[in-house]
Formats: sequence, C-alpha cells, structure tokens
Amino acid sequence: MNAPSIRRGLLIRCGIGVGVLLCMLSASTYLMVRHGLYKELDKSIAQTASLLSNQVELENGRITFEWQEGLGTNHALIEDGLFQYWEENTGKTTRSPGLQVRDLPKFCGPDGAPQLMDIQLPDRRRHARAIGMRVYPFVLPAEMERMKEQGRILDPKTFPHVLVVARDTKPVHHVLTRLRWILGTGTLLTLGIGFALIERAVHVSLRPINLLTQQVRDRTGRQLDSALDLPGELPSELAGLAKNFDLLLARVAETRRRERDFIRHAAHELRTPIAGLQAATDLALSKPRESAAYVGHLETCRKTAHELGELVKRLTALARIDQVPVSASLESIDLASVLMDCLQRFLPVFEQRGLKIPAISGQAPLWAIGDRALVRIVFNNLLDNAASHAEPGSEVAIRFLRSGDKAEVSVSNPAKDMGGDLERLFEPLFRRESSRHDAESHLGIGLTLSLDAAHAMAGSLTAGMTEDGWIEFALGLPLAAES
Amino acid sequence: MRLLLIEDNTLLRNAVGQYLREAGFIVDTAATGDEGLWAATENPYDAILLDLMLPNVDGMEILRRLRAKGNPVHILVISARDGLEDRLEALDAGADDYLVKPFPLSEALARVRALVRRRYAKKSPVMQVADILLDPIRRTVHRGDRAIELTALEYRMLEYLFHRAGEVVSRTDIWERVFEDGSGGSSNTLDVYIGYLRKKLNAEGEPDLIHTRRGQGYILEESPP
Repeated sequence: MNAPSIRRGLLIRCGIGVGVLLCMLSASTYLMVRHGLYKELDKSIAQTASLLSNQVELENGRITFEWQEGLGTNHALIEDGLFQYWEENTGKTTRSPGLQVRDLPKFCGPDGAPQLMDIQLPDRRRHARAIGMRVYPFVLPAEMERMKEQGRILDPKTFPHVLVVARDTKPVHHVLTRLRWILGTGTLLTLGIGFALIERAVHVSLRPINLLTQQVRDRTGRQLDSALDLPGELPSELAGLAKNFDLLLARVAETRRRERDFIRHAAHELRTPIAGLQAATDLALSKPRESAAYVGHLETCRKTAHELGELVKRLTALARIDQVPVSASLESIDLASVLMDCLQRFLPVFEQRGLKIPAISGQAPLWAIGDRALVRIVFNNLLDNAASHAEPGSEVAIRFLRSGDKAEVSVSNPAKDMGGDLERLFEPLFRRESSRHDAESHLGIGLTLSLDAAHAMAGSLTAGMTEDGWIEFALGLPLAAES
Repeated sequence: MRLLLIEDNTLLRNAVGQYLREAGFIVDTAATGDEGLWAATENPYDAILLDLMLPNVDGMEILRRLRAKGNPVHILVISARDGLEDRLEALDAGADDYLVKPFPLSEALARVRALVRRRYAKKSPVMQVADILLDPIRRTVHRGDRAIELTALEYRMLEYLFHRAGEVVSRTDIWERVFEDGSGGSSNTLDVYIGYLRKKLNAEGEPDLIHTRRGQGYILEESPP
C-alpha cells in the first residue's frame, strides 16, 4: 500500500493548520467584537439609567418625573427609550412612551444595586439588554425649605422606585450577524487562497524531486549507471540523497564494468581454443585425407573440447566469485605440515623445470587458526604459480614466520619487476599480456579465489617485490596456541 | 612464398601452419614472442601471421620493434581481442591486416594471399606473363590452352618468379622464398629445378620466358632485354 504523496500530505496538513488558525482567529475576533459591543451597550444602558434615575423628583408631597415635563432630558432618548419605573410603596408604574402599555420585567440587584440582564421585550419577539436598579427621588433645595416651613419634611428614601431600562439588542445582533458572515466568508476565501498558495509553494518545493524523478524515469538502458545530471542548486535536503544515489550508481557502474570485463575476458579466453578447434576442423575438411589423418584431427578436436570444458568450469567458478561468500570451518592447523603436504604434488614439476627449493626458513610447526581445505587451496595456487612462472633453474623460497599474533607463510621466486601490475594480480582474470603461455592451466582466477579464501579465514594474502627482485606471496592467519 | 606464424597456442599454430603449407606456402612457426621476433628479424618473409598475446614478448611489441627497424614485411595480426581500440592500436602500430579469432582458415589464407599480392604490388589474383597464366587460388598454370602440371616446389618457384616478373631475382632470394630449409643449397640443385620448370613450360617449342643472368640470377619476362 502506497503512503500518501508528499504533496497531498503537505496540502492536507498545511490546509488543516491554516484552517484551524483562521477559525480560531475568526472566532476570537467575533467574540472580542461581541464582547465589545455588549460592553458598549451595557455602558450605554447604564448611562441612560443614570440619567433616568435623576428624573424622579419629590415635589409637593408627590412624585413627578421630569422627563414627562420635558425638562433636562433628551427627547429622542425619552421617545425611543424603553424604561419603566415602579413605585415600590404603591406599586404604581410609569412607562416610557416606547413601551406604550406593556411592562418590562421588574428586577434589580440585591439592596437595589444595578443589575444587568438579558430580557425578552413585551412583544415577545425581540430580545433586549436591560438594567434594573433602585432609585430614590431627589428634592430641590427650595422644596426642602418649603417643607421645613410647613413643618412636614418628607424623606426621599421613603419613596423607593425600581427603574428598569432596556435596550433592544437587534442592532447588535445585526452587526454580529454581518460580522459572522464577513468572518466566515473571509475565512473561506483566505483558506482557498491559502490552499492555492500552499499548493504553489509545495509544487515549487517539490520541483527538484520531480526533476530527479524524471531523470531517473527517462533513463535509457545505456544510461542506467551514469551519474545524474543534477541541477546546480539542489536543495540541501535532496543533495545528500542525490549524492548517495550517484554513489550507488557509481557502484552499479563498477559492477557493470566488471561484468563487461568478465564477459570480455571470458570471450577472449574462449576464442583461442575455439579458433584452434575451428582451424583443426577446417584443416581436416580442406581436402580428402587418409583415415589416420582424420583420426589425428579428431583426437586434436577432442583434446580441445576437453580443454574448453575445463575452461568453462573455471569461468563458472569465476562467475561465482563475490556472489557467495566462502565459508570457513576454522580450527587449529599446522601451516607448515599442510604446505609440505601440498609441496609433494609439485616436486616433479619443480624438478622438471630445474627449480630448486633452498632450506625452508622459519620454525615448524606453525600453528594458526584456519580452514585446512581453504589453506590447501591457497598453498596449491601459490606453489602452482611458482612452478609455472619461475625462471627455469631458479629458486623458489618458502618461509615460515611468527609476527605478533599472526602466522605467516610466504612463497617467493625471482621475477621481473611487476610495476603497477602487482596490485592487479588479485583481480579476476588478470594476467600480464606477455605471460599467456600455459594458458590452459592458468586462467587468472587462482589468486582471486585464494584471496577470497584468506579473507574467509580472517586472514590476508599479499604480494610484493623484494629488494633483490623476488616476487613474494604471503598468507597471514591468526596465530594459534601450539598443540 | 615464405610465411612466419607466431602463435603460442599449439593447436592453432599447427592447424594454421599445416593449412598454409598445403596451400603452397613455406611456413616457419614460433611459439613465443622472442622466438618470433628473432625469426622475423633474421629471415625475409613475404608475410607474418602474428598473435598479440604471447609469452616473453607480446605481439604489439614485436610489431613496434619490426617497424622501428624499418622492416617492411606485411603483417596479419590474428588475435582474440575484438575491440575497436585493439584493432586500431595494432593497425596504427604497423599491422597490415587484423583477423579476430576464431576465423575460418580459408579467410586467413585469402588475407595472406592479399598481403603477398600487395607485397609484390599485384592487384589481380591471376598473373600473366606473355601467354603463361598462373592462378594462385586454384594453383593452376596454363600456357595458351595447355595446362601445365607442376610439383609443389616447381609451382612455388614459378609463382615467386611471377610475383617478381620483369626483375632479376637472385638465387638467394629464390632459395629463401621457395625451399623449405631456406638455407642456400648447391647452385646445381636450383639450376636443375629451373631446368625442370623450363622443360614443362616450353614443352612444345614455345619461347623460353625464364632467362638466366649470369652472376645475378633469373628473370621472368616475355622477351630478353
């Protein structure tokens, strides 16, 4: 199952983020405005109530309302206002003109303190904000003097009134409704534009990825392992990926190069015996011959076919190099005895070529941790090479050495200076151009296999030229306790 | 015609050598680079078949050394290397032709014949002097309508004289190019074979085209100068 695309993921995450942010912003704005509007409304109602609380006057022993006399009041306030007085002693009520005959709910705070409430207006359709408070009539100084003269002083506190002032909240609701619409529309628009911008930004940001994808997708078979044609300014996040991808391609290229080399070498190795086979058959068929001649040609062909079979076996073995790691069964073995055992096989060849083995230097036995079979492969290869490549009549030296925690066995013989070729001796199929004699038995894979074997035993196999012009191959293995 | 075959693969060397011998060439062989280089330096050859991957001295080195000494011998490289770079390198080093292994022996023979023709500046495979026709491919000789039967040695001798028709050919040259061992035998032997050749060519009293130049050798031409 595919994971969501980066583009889609970014769009969804950014969209949700921006959406939530916008909603929170809109809600905050709405609540702040609403709070402000109601605060202003309450303040306005309180101011109106304050004004109206001073409209109750005690005059001539009775209560009068100045607003009814048109004194000291705002006419617009009076005519459109919604307020009502209740004389608490008598229950008599006085309404503002706007209320006509309908009553506002009567309320006030504890001890007559002002109290704000949301109420329903008498028409049952509208809501309003209202303040209820207890007010007392005021007495003019002249009236006070007159009551003193008459000896009948009335205390205004004995004429408590409840004043309720209401203000229709419809305008506020209207403003808030419009605000909600503006904020909603604005949020949606902003979200839409935000999405478009985010999509564009994501698209631009992902362009290098698309470029890389296109480059990888458009590769032809011949470009599979060539490095990517990267843009000059690759984002740092992708630079590492691209660099590592190029490194991977380089490894693929190296592998393909080795495969090509292997195929080239294999073809090369096969061509010469095939050429011989073809030449032998061409020769046999070029003219009528005696039976004995045909037998001779067929024998030659059979021998060549056998050599070709051996060659194919070696090529197959070579193809397996690097594919399956050599496994080793490690034990404590005496390298000296294994080498001497291997040497017996090659003594006739050494004798035939006049090769001499001087006294073996070093002390035997030489115990090391290794795999007996793998060690034999290495020794057989080193001795075979020495027997084949040492100059006739020269010497082949064998040396045992303990060096630190390593046991080392070396085989060396005089040789021409290998120069740079020394490092290539362990490459599969490597042979110096001028040393292809005895090609049937030396394909150029022995040292490669030996190196694999040495590595499988946690050891080493090295080649070097000594100062006196000898080539020396040394197998090093972990030293074991003598047993 | 004397050829040198330098090839380290025994089977191929033997097969190619025998095939070319059966085609009428004298073939010397060398199994290593140093042997081949020595033979090519010491003996005159009409063409050399040279493998590139050789022990001791590789084929490219032989090519370079021969050309550096001004040796004009025509060289056919026979190699398992089939890359363009390999072919270009060999041709640039002085090879006259390049044949990739494996190859049919008939192709190798045709290329060798072409090199020999080039060696003696001959374009046509069939050579003619007066009314004598020599066909190296069919290995036939006709004088007029008459087919002439020659032994292998007589044929080689006549073919060499045809290649160098119009010029005096020294006795040494004939020995080196025509006789197997290449070392000068008694002059009487050569004269005897020339006599056999004249006898077969001039069987019906036709004019003799092989003329003796005393102290110089022989010349094949229509009329004496």
